[in-house]
Amino acid sequence: MPMKGRFPVRRTLQYLSQGDVIFKSSVKAMTVNYNTAGERSEGARKFVFFNIPQIQYKNPWVQIMLFRNMTPSPFLRFYLDSGEQVLVDVEDKTNKEITEHIKKILGKSKETLEREERERKKLSHPGTFGPKKYHLRECMCEIEGQVPCPAFVPLPKEMRGKYKTSAKNEA
Amino acid sequence: MSVPRGAVHAKWIVGKVIGTKMQKTAKVRVTRLVLDPYLLKFFNKRKTYFAHDPLQQCVVGDIVLLKALPERRSKHVKHELAEIVFKVGKVIDPITGKPCAGTRFLENLSDSENLTEADTTYLSEKLQELKVCSTN
Repeated sequence: MPMKGRFPVRRTLQYLSQGDVIFKSSVKAMTVNYNTAGERSEGARKFVFFNIPQIQYKNPWVQIMLFRNMTPSPFLRFYLDSGEQVLVDVEDKTNKEITEHIKKILGKSKETLEREERERKKLSHPGTFGPKKYHLRECMCEIEGQVPCPAFVPLPKEMRGKYKTSAKNEA
Repeated sequence: MSVPRGAVHAKWIVGKVIGTKMQKTAKVRVTRLVLDPYLLKFFNKRKTYFAHDPLQQCVVGDIVLLKALPERRSKHVKHELAEIVFKVGKVIDPITGKPCAGTRFLENLSDSENLTEADTTYLSEKLQELKVCSTN
């Protein structure tokens, strides 16, 4: 049973997380003006159809508004925290070029992203055990080569507490 | 910890004016794209904000940019009008700076009024050359 819609791959989590445009924290709002007809706006239409879901998934706190058929020329407009506005003309550009351009001007660079990733890793120690929300593993029994969980494989007699205490009482 | 601006989360928002019946206040509808968890599709979710508009220059249907106030002005008003992005009926294309309506410009884009006599004669000569004459 296939998914519904024209390009249902856009509605998969794998596709959404493949978006690589992550805006800087100063970008607050984004406005896309495009036309529903005409080949000058073709790249903008493809951008809205394919790339806007990826961008919004990666930047949930940026407000994105779409305006159709308001002006003859298609453009993007970004509103930054400092009050500055960035106008990007997207006439006669393919959607890939548009994403590359905005990634270059307003996206977080790879070094910033790697640095943030390292900061997040530093917060939690990978060698501890506990609930899945805070640790990697819950119990030592999950690791290959360690004693398996007694819920699935009974422990050998020598390791069981009742055997050990009875042996001690006898002796 | 000091809060330099905004006792509210949204610092800069873009919205459409839906009401101006209040004095010096505009009711603005802001839409954000929210992901539906099952369909994994983005839908517009609306929220209305009240914005302080001291000169009462907003008309219903304008697209405006709101800026968060440093502290709340009244119980509901936490933003003020920063700029009218598109005025309804008088949209100006930011790329060319000319007024437009829908997908066409309202005024003539070519500068045919500023052509001098020499220019027009030169252009008409060029057009004569381009005319294909039929030779038998």
